[in-house]
Amino acid sequence: MRTFQMQRYSAIALLVFLTIHMIVVHYPPFHIDFGIILERMESPVWKVIDIAFLFFVLMHALTGAYMVITDFESAFNYRKGLAWAAIVIGVAAFFYGSATIWAFQPPV
Amino acid sequence: MSNNNAQRTVTVRIQRFNPDTDKKPYMQDYQVEMKPGMTVLDALHEIKTHQDGTVTYRRSCRHAICGSCAMHINGRNTLACNTPLKNEVTHKNTVTIGPLPYLPVIKDMVVDRTTFWEEYLRVKPWLIPPDDIPEKEFRMSQDEVKALHDAETCIMCGACYSSCAVIGLNKKYIGPHALLKSFMRVLDPRDSSPAERLEEVSGADGVYRCHTIFNCIDACPKGLNPTQAIETLRKLAQKRQKLEEARRERQKHLNEPIPA
Ligand code: FES
Repeated sequence: MRTFQMQRYSAIALLVFLTIHMIVVHYPPFHIDFGIILERMESPVWKVIDIAFLFFVLMHALTGAYMVITDFESAFNYRKGLAWAAIVIGVAAFFYGSATIWAFQPPV
Repeated sequence: MSNNNAQRTVTVRIQRFNPDTDKKPYMQDYQVEMKPGMTVLDALHEIKTHQDGTVTYRRSCRHAICGSCAMHINGRNTLACNTPLKNEVTHKNTVTIGPLPYLPVIKDMVVDRTTFWEEYLRVKPWLIPPDDIPEKEFRMSQDEVKALHDAETCIMCGACYSSCAVIGLNKKYIGPHALLKSFMRVLDPRDSSPAERLEEVSGADGVYRCHTIFNCIDACPKGLNPTQAIETLRKLAQKRQKLEEARRERQKHLNEPIPA
């Protein structure tokens, strides 16, 4: 039940974050303007938004992958191990991604 | 005016397999003269009685009541006894029949339903009455009866179970048939263990494993909706303690007349 809830809640959060992402990154007037992109990636507010986005993407993707893999009877018996593997991958990817986002400095 | 379909000969293609003698399943064709009003089960009877006595299938009531004759007809699970043959004849003049998918074949159309029944028993499909049983009768409102009606008409044919893609991958999944029965008991005001039932179905092999593919709805020969039942169980599972309390409260008045 918890995995299911996590996937659904993260899906709702992703709807919000993806909408923001699509508008800001892919549509005019902001898109493909290197100056604006640098400015945005440098801003602490955007860094927090990007880290939250990363968090929900990881949660959604890993819970989804976990549920699909455990659909197979052969994997079903290893649910605990798979859950731990997903947690470890998630935590590692989150810290690595967050550190990268946070450390970003525009070239002088 | 003569009916073109009345005396046409059709090819019935049957998937044959005897695990004791055959390495793998193969298709065998039979010619059957299609008579007016003939069902797929009638065609099978015709073949078994007059052409090949080794063709094996289950059937009993011939009235879509017992659920024994569920099989895979032209790519979908349904009951052979209430499927008119003429509706199934393709433009190539054939009807293809096989066993229910995802289940081990015992012989031809007869499949091993062990997991199907095991999961059914696991959800305790019987009523667990309250300690205080009313002297005369349980009184339920029209709405309460209506909520149970669909699930009650399930004939346990296995068409939904063997059309479910999750069952195809994992036989430990409870399955739409048993979840529909569990739904019926959870909603039944006479039942005293809704929280325990919801606990059972909300595990890793329960309602959250359903991918809402809707195959069970398409397959059900009775037009029932197991997917909706599963969705309801999912919602109720999140607030099972509240439901249990409401049930206890409701059961205090089970023998009182229902206000109009
Ligand atoms: S023979 Fe009973 S349901 Fe078909």
